[in-house]
Amino acid sequence: MSQTRELMQSQDKYRIALLSAYALALHGFESLLPTPIPWLRLGLANIITLTTLILYGIRAALMVTLIRVVLASLFTGTFLGPAFILSLGGGVISTLSMGIVLSLMPRLFGPVGLSLIGALFHNSAQLFLAYILFIQRIEAILLITPVIIFLGTLTGSVNGIVSDMLIKNLKKTDEKIQN
Amino acid sequence: MDTLVTITVVSSSKDSAEKAIDTAFSEIEKLEKLFDFFSPDSEISLINKNAGISEVKVSQDTLDILDKALYVSEKTEGAFDATIGAVITLYDFYKKVNPEDSSIKKNLSLVNYRYLTIDRNKSTAFLKKRGMYIDLGGISKGYAADNAVETLKRNRIHSGLVSVAGDIKAFGLKPDGKPWKIGIRNPRAKGQEDDIMATIELTDMAISTSGDYERSFINDGKRYHHLLNPRTGYPAEGCQSVSIITKEGAFTDAFATGIFILGPEKGIKTLEKMGFDGVIVDSQGKVHTTPHIRGKVEFKRSS
Amino acid sequence: MNLKGLLNSTTIADRILLFILILLSLSGIFFIKEVLPKGQIVRIEINGHPVYLLPIEKDRIVSVNGSEGNTIVEIKNHKVRITESPCDNKLCIQQGWIEKGSIVCLPNRVVVIIGTPEDESNKRVDAITG
Repeated sequence: MSQTRELMQSQDKYRIALLSAYALALHGFESLLPTPIPWLRLGLANIITLTTLILYGIRAALMVTLIRVVLASLFTGTFLGPAFILSLGGGVISTLSMGIVLSLMPRLFGPVGLSLIGALFHNSAQLFLAYILFIQRIEAILLITPVIIFLGTLTGSVNGIVSDMLIKNLKKTDEKIQN
Repeated sequence: MDTLVTITVVSSSKDSAEKAIDTAFSEIEKLEKLFDFFSPDSEISLINKNAGISEVKVSQDTLDILDKALYVSEKTEGAFDATIGAVITLYDFYKKVNPEDSSIKKNLSLVNYRYLTIDRNKSTAFLKKRGMYIDLGGISKGYAADNAVETLKRNRIHSGLVSVAGDIKAFGLKPDGKPWKIGIRNPRAKGQEDDIMATIELTDMAISTSGDYERSFINDGKRYHHLLNPRTGYPAEGCQSVSIITKEGAFTDAFATGIFILGPEKGIKTLEKMGFDGVIVDSQGKVHTTPHIRGKVEFKRSS
Repeated sequence: MNLKGLLNSTTIADRILLFILILLSLSGIFFIKEVLPKGQIVRIEINGHPVYLLPIEKDRIVSVNGSEGNTIVEIKNHKVRITESPCDNKLCIQQGWIEKGSIVCLPNRVVVIIGTPEDESNKRVDAITG
C-alpha cells in the first residue's frame, strides 16, 4: 500500500517537474517573439497551468506556477525584482481563482471560461499590485485598465481553446495507453 | 560637501547654458575647498588649527561667510553658532554614537561665537581659545547657492534655480512665465505620497530648511539630530522642521538652523523682526507661519 | 479547427462570460477616452522628463530630440498631433489629432500629454527643500 503511495507521489513530482519545464519553455519561447504592442503578453505558459489544473488539480497547478515564475526570474536575473512580484502575484491569484471556480462549479465553465477568469484575475492582480507598489497615479492605472482587460480577454480565449485541444489530446493518448 | 547640487537654467542656447552651469559648479567646488571642515587644507581647517595661537589670513569669501555667520549669531541670540564644531564632533551620525554627558560639558566652553573675530582690513580671522572649531555646515550651502546664482547671472543667464542639498535659490521665471515652484518636505513623511507638505512659488528668493530628520539617529528611544543647542550641547527640541525664505541663501541656511534651535514661538518673533518669511513645524506637528506668507504658500491637504 | 469544433470547446457560460468581458472592456476603452478632461497645456516629455510645457492656444510646430531622432509635434486649432517621428511603426503619427489624453512614441521615448494647469502645477515641483 505504501509502495503504491510512494509511486504515486513520485509520479506526481515527476509530472510537476515536467509540466513546469514545459511552462518555462513556453515562457522562454514567448519572450523571443517580437512584440509590437508592449502590454500584450500572450501568456502561453498559462496553457500549461490551466491544463495542469484540470487534469491534476489545484495543488499541482500552483506548484507549476510557482516553479515557473521563480525559475524564469532567476534565469532573467529579475528574481525579487518588480517584474517578479507582478508575475508571482498575477500567477498565484489567477491559478487560485481558476481552481476555486473549478472546485465550486465544476461543470459551469469549460477551459475557455476558466482561462478567461484566470486572465481577468491575473491582469487585475497585476494592475492592483502595480498601483500600490509602483505607479501611485490612479489615473494612469484606470486609463490602461480597459485596454489590458480587452487584450487579456482575447489572449485568454485563445489560450483556453488551445488548452482544450491539449487536454483532449492528452486524454486520447491516455486512453490509447490504457487500451 | 558630499551633497547633491542641482542647477537648472533657462536659456535659448544649450551651449551657453552648459557653459554657465559648468562655471557655477566650479564656483561651488572652489568654495568647498575653502570651507570643508574635513579637509586639512581648507581655510577653515587652517583657522581651527591655529585656534588660540594666531590669526590666519583668509580669502574674501571666507571673510564674507564668517561675517555673515557672526551676524546671524547676534540676531538669533547665539542660537546659531558656527563655533559649534567642538561639540558636534563628539557625535557620530554615521556610527550612531552620542557622547557622554561629561564630554559635552567639558567642550561646552569651547562653543562661543564671541571668541571668533575677523579683521576686514587685514583679511584675517582668529579663534581666541585653543580647541575651538568652526563648522560652517549650517551656512555654507546657502552661501554656495548665492554665489552659484551670481555666477550664472554673470554668464548672462536670466532665469534659473540652484539647489545645494535642499538649500535653494531661484531667480527669474520659468518658460511658461510662472515662478519656480518649491516643495517643502514633510518632516514625518511615510512614503512618496506624503513626501511634500506644502509648495511655495519663488522668484529672486532663497529658501532653506533645517529638519530633525536630516542627520539623525535614535538611541534608547531618544532622537539625536545635528541641530545642537550651543548652550546645552544637546539636540534642540521644539521643532521638527524650519523653512526660511528671504533674498540671501546664506541667511536662509543659517537662520533656519538658528530658528530651529530657538523654537517655534521665539522663532516666529525673530523672523518677523528680521522681515523674513518662514514655516515652522513644531515638535507636535503643528504648523506655524509668518503672517505674510499665508497667501503664497499652498499646504497639501493631509488625509 | 472549424467553428463547430470551437463551439464544442465552449460551454454556454464560457460564451456569456466572453461576451460580457468584451462588451465591458470595449465600452471601458471608449468611456475613459471621453471622460478625460480637455486640457490647456501640452506637455512633451522625453524619457519621462518634461522638456516642453506649451499652451494649446498657440499654434506652433516643435521638434524634440528623442533617443532615435527628431519627433515633430504640431499644435494647431487647439489640437495636437505628431507629424514626423523616426520610429518604425509610426503608430504615434497614426493617432492623428488629439484634444485630450496622450500620444506616445515608444521607440523614440517621446510622450505628448494634454493636461490642465492644475495637475501640471500640483504634481510637479521644480525642487524640494528639506
